[in-house]
Amino acid sequence: MYSLIVKMAWKNSFLRPARTLLVVAMITVSMSMMLGIQGLYDGMAENMIDKNRRSGSGDITFYAKEYRVQKDLKYRIKNASAIKDELKNMQGVKSVVLRVRADGLLSTARKSSFSFMQGIDIKEENHFGRFSEFLKEGEIKLENGDAVIGLELAKKLKLHIGSKVVFSTQDVMGEINSVALKIRGIVQTTNIELDDGAIFIDIKDIHRFLGTSSGDATQIAVVCKDEGLIGRLQTKYGGLDVKSFLELQPMMKMMQDIMFIFNSITFFIVMSVVFVGIFGVMYVSILDRIREFGIMLGLGMHYKYIRLQIFIEAMFVGLIGYLGGAIFGAILLIYLRDYGVDLSSFSDALEMWGYEAIIHGTIKISYFTTTFVAIITASLLSVIIPLRKIKKLNPIEVIKAEK
Amino acid sequence: MIKLQNVNKYFYRGEPREVHALCDISLTIEAGEFTLLSGPSGCGKTTLLNAIGALDGIDSGEIYLDETEIGSLDEDARTTLRLNELGFVFQAYNLVPVLSVEENIGFVMRLRGFSDEEIRRRVLEVAALLEIDNKLKSLPNTLSGGQQQRVAVARAVAAKPKIILADEPTANLDSNNSQILMNMMRELNEREGISILFASHDELIMHSVRRVITLNDGILINDHKL
Repeated sequence: MYSLIVKMAWKNSFLRPARTLLVVAMITVSMSMMLGIQGLYDGMAENMIDKNRRSGSGDITFYAKEYRVQKDLKYRIKNASAIKDELKNMQGVKSVVLRVRADGLLSTARKSSFSFMQGIDIKEENHFGRFSEFLKEGEIKLENGDAVIGLELAKKLKLHIGSKVVFSTQDVMGEINSVALKIRGIVQTTNIELDDGAIFIDIKDIHRFLGTSSGDATQIAVVCKDEGLIGRLQTKYGGLDVKSFLELQPMMKMMQDIMFIFNSITFFIVMSVVFVGIFGVMYVSILDRIREFGIMLGLGMHYKYIRLQIFIEAMFVGLIGYLGGAIFGAILLIYLRDYGVDLSSFSDALEMWGYEAIIHGTIKISYFTTTFVAIITASLLSVIIPLRKIKKLNPIEVIKAEK
Repeated sequence: MIKLQNVNKYFYRGEPREVHALCDISLTIEAGEFTLLSGPSGCGKTTLLNAIGALDGIDSGEIYLDETEIGSLDEDARTTLRLNELGFVFQAYNLVPVLSVEENIGFVMRLRGFSDEEIRRRVLEVAALLEIDNKLKSLPNTLSGGQQQRVAVARAVAAKPKIILADEPTANLDSNNSQILMNMMRELNEREGISILFASHDELIMHSVRRVITLNDGILINDHKL
């Protein structure tokens, strides 16, 4: 009997092929567009988070207590090298870097700006977060008075490759010191703090400049595979301020949440369209065939089998639309992942907020599984009202009406 | 087999336009009978047929199908009763448009859970009897009215119900097709032993049946065997 019900459902789904195909096309187009938008939103957020993670705090960051409030060299981690060696040997830790930061004033002959100097080991930074990939202009060269500068800071001070600057700050003894630097490269990390205010030099040079010991650091950043590691590190290094990426970058968390809200709204709108589309086609289809259902009831077909047939019909329409949407959506997502959307005409505004001018999408299996569940649910819900009409149907009225 | 005791049915009960559609009807129809419910339009034939077919309720009295009192059954049990015990032939054929003739004939059998082999064998048998065995793969909308009505009869007969209720089965057919259909139904009645109860005012049916029950204004006024 079930094979008969499935057969009737399939044939009835295409009783009016133009009407059904219109709804299928509507689901296909709206679903593939929704997948594309989801992929782009998530791609924007993930790209920004990834770059912030790679250029900044990693997954976990260590500071000395009070450093994040005072930003003073006296709150540096004095045994940072030893901690780094311990961390490197820990299971789940992929990479560790030490950084030394000094806040100060960066000046050219005409302009100056508050900024900070960050001492880094370029070899380790490349292993940690592929720092060289952030290069926008020039080269990554940090030795012997050479420096690399953040894009927005360079724009602010009108600096170019080869420009000379002076950075002044207080050293570890409290004395004001200055160093002359030559800009060799301009980087864009999309980490607003770095792009707006950082000038990078070699970590050995900054130790010499500030008078700190080579084992000291203001920050230890860790990339790890184990999400549970932070708890163990917080316990082990209780004397330090151990923070996760999202604790240090609440903006990123907020951005993730905003993207989730955007995606949810888009999802809700598209599912409403799917619901209304299937509801419309099923409602009209059932009204068209009300006599047929009345006769079936009259012949002794139980309501539960008619209900099953209608559910299957709605599912066929939803599933075909889903398959179309999934295929076109996947093609769109692959295109967006590989080629992205070029928003170069808005690049200034986008870069100011830490976005790249070319936005690449991302692809997640969850897009397809969630949409599948939602479309099936929308299909099933959309026939509840039409089914109530059949439930109330009196076969005699239908038979009489045909006389 | 079918026994009606003091059956009463009202429409618009309690309203000024109240109609007493069936007035104290009592009768018995034995197994294998070939009977007509006759009378002018609006006399209550279809109402009585629907009551016997568990399609409609009554206001008082009792209707027994063998030992089962139909009025005491809930909607679900009535549906099961219609499926297992009764066959229906309607004026407008009412075939399932997306199913082939073969599938339409086997429709009730499939609902009742007969095996594929049983259905196939029985469909061929009944289709041959009704001379539609060359149309088994056709869709209903490709058949003439007479052929469609024969498919409807085949559907009613295939699952071997205790009784077939046929409401104006010849109303949409010309006299030639009506005659063919009646001959076939009579043959089915004789060969299969299935009781058939018609509701019609067609003279042709009146001359084919063996018993005529006449109603007028909901009252049984005549019941005679031919």
